[in-house]
Amino acid sequence: MSLGTIVGNIKLRNPLILASGVLGSSYSVLQRIYEAGIGAVVTKSVGPVSREGNPNPSVFALKDINGAINSIGLANPGYKHFREEIKILLENNVKTIVSIFGGDVEEFSEVLVGLSDLPITAFELNLSCPNTEKEGMVLGTDPQIVRRIVENLRKKTKSPIWVKLTPNVTDILEIADAAIKGGCDALVAINTLKAMVIDIYSRYPILGFKRGGLSGAPIKPVGIRNIFDLYEQFGDKIPLVGVGGIAKWEDVFEYILAGASAVQIGTALGVAHPENKIRHIKNNIQKFMKNEGIENIANIIGGAHR
Amino acid sequence: MSRKITSFDSQPIMGKIIRIEDECEDTKNFFVEMPEKIEGVKAGQFVMLWIPVVDEYPIGVAGFKDEILELGIAKMGVGTEALFNKQIGERVGIRGFYGKPFKPLENVNHLLLGGGFGMTPLKLLINTLKSRNRGDKIHVFEGARTKNKLMYLDFLQNLHDKGEIKFHVCTDDGSWGYKGFPTVALEEVLQEDSQQSVIYVAGPERMMKVVFEIGKKYQNVKDMQMSLADRYMRCGFGLCSACTVDPTGWRICVDGPVFNKEQLEQITDFGEYIRLATGEKKRI
Ligand SMILES: Cc1cc2nc3c(=O)[nH]c(=O)nc-3n(C[C@H](O)[C@H](O)[C@H](O)COP(=O)(O)OP(=O)(O)OC[C@H]3O[C@@H](n4cnc5c(N)ncnc54)[C@H](O)[C@@H]3O)c2cc1C
Ligand SMILES: Cc1cc2nc3c(=O)[nH]c(=O)nc-3n(C[C@H](O)[C@H](O)[C@H](O)COP(=O)(O)O)c2cc1C
Ligand code: FES
Repeated sequence: MSLGTIVGNIKLRNPLILASGVLGSSYSVLQRIYEAGIGAVVTKSVGPVSREGNPNPSVFALKDINGAINSIGLANPGYKHFREEIKILLENNVKTIVSIFGGDVEEFSEVLVGLSDLPITAFELNLSCPNTEKEGMVLGTDPQIVRRIVENLRKKTKSPIWVKLTPNVTDILEIADAAIKGGCDALVAINTLKAMVIDIYSRYPILGFKRGGLSGAPIKPVGIRNIFDLYEQFGDKIPLVGVGGIAKWEDVFEYILAGASAVQIGTALGVAHPENKIRHIKNNIQKFMKNEGIENIANIIGGAHR
Repeated sequence: MSRKITSFDSQPIMGKIIRIEDECEDTKNFFVEMPEKIEGVKAGQFVMLWIPVVDEYPIGVAGFKDEILELGIAKMGVGTEALFNKQIGERVGIRGFYGKPFKPLENVNHLLLGGGFGMTPLKLLINTLKSRNRGDKIHVFEGARTKNKLMYLDFLQNLHDKGEIKFHVCTDDGSWGYKGFPTVALEEVLQEDSQQSVIYVAGPERMMKVVFEIGKKYQNVKDMQMSLADRYMRCGFGLCSACTVDPTGWRICVDGPVFNKEQLEQITDFGEYIRLATGEKKRI
């Protein structure tokens, strides 16, 4: 029985990947999560220069719906600093996908070129953060910009390039098509959904940035739908990585059946013992495979399309 | 109007400020009434305090009784200043209780050492130890730059006078207690009393590191528990990883803020580096 999967030319020991921005700010926490048995980790998104992100509150749980909302806004130390942490991860054989962002082609290029001498497993282009004014979603909702950025970066690194899509568009297929034409190696969907929470006593939005992005269990059906649509259209052209609301082992199968070759987990790992959570999900995946007679998890990718 | 809180560890719950006390220079005690029954808190745990439109930041819990939360707050910058400007009756948001607490052992001497806002979790710890009432000795060591900076001076002196604790107080300038550092009295107690002891510390990290090195020299120190609360936090519940320490990848907000001796030994960042809001590491 095998949990192994492949995304493009990247072999993973299992289909579980840590999503960007959750437990991803330091080499030490990324290594900790990798050693807990996950297939690969994605770093917090890094950009050209250090930034503090949006004012607090910038993230809190929404327990009633098993989700979270955040408006961290790409706080990061800048790629020059973070490079040292990436190096430690690679030296310790951690499969490291580096999420990068920029305000335009030049900034993206600066970050990618500044890191591409390292044997990075893949770059994930964050074209989908809803919590900034100049970067992220603003770029990722325009197919022409997406294509231009991917085309430009594709020539500058040997590492695979993944493009992370936002669900906050009318037609995700149009953006995906642009990314594929630009030459990316995999599509990752979805980032958080535009959201807001207002306190009815003080009558203020709670987040310091007012607006934020919803993650966790409530967004899973949205992610499943997006992966299903993407697979239907591009399944034969490009591998997909499903993300959004995975909280239980069943969710992993749901994404794989929709068409994902691998999945990313974020919010659900923001718990006291992420190690236990990962072990629990993996054990139950194996049990289910045994019971259902699934020899190889990769065999059921896209299995819901029939 | 009161309402039932289903999950306190979620979006901020609005509590009402019902009392404000001047504690010492630039430090006040705020008593916040929570709208409905919530589960108990342990010494060393903290809340995330939201001042609408201004900021949200972590604050240790000094007490919690009859749904009234006691917070001791030192004025630092914009966020704490905004709280100082609040009046009785105004509301602030609270979420928590977060983090791993102190875990007092039994049949040992309890040696509590603190400075600055580190005294707030120690106040709750003292009350916890007193209510256990097992006859263990409790020593409290407090140090500050000058008399006006000493937190809970009356509270602690009063307990000392009643014989419930032994209070050792000092200042850098000699304006109150003995002149010098709290570690001097700590070492005296460790040398004079061979009974097994546990040291609990909360305060500036450089100071905690010094205490840690001292504590390691004494055979009768059974454990040391220190609160690494001088660190930047965003979520407070283990999601964002803004608060991680190297090389263990532990998050101060859920794996700490209180760590024991064995854990502190493994944290090479302890007393050396913090992470800024950007994630950059900076020497303390
Ligand atoms: C677990 C924990 C418990 C704490 N308990 C208390 C307490 O009981 N009483 C008390 O007075 N203070 C406590 N603090 C410190 C308190 O959070 C800061 O003093 C406060 O955030 C300062 O905010 P400011 O806007 O006034 O200052 P700013 O001008 O914003 O910053 C001043 C300094 O405060 C710290 N700070 C700012 N924002 C944060 C943040 N989000 N998280 C952590 N530190 C921050 C930084 O070190 C900064 O250099 C605690 C901190 C932690 C981590
Ligand atoms: C606190 C937090 C921070 C995040 N930061 C980033 C980020 O820096 N870059 C990015 O591409 N996605 C970021 N995301 C989005 C996640 O990677 C993921 O796409 C989303 O949360 C959905 O997955 P989940 O429901 O499993 O959390 C962040 C999410 C959260 C909750
Ligand atoms: S503050 Fe977010 S993980 Fe600790």
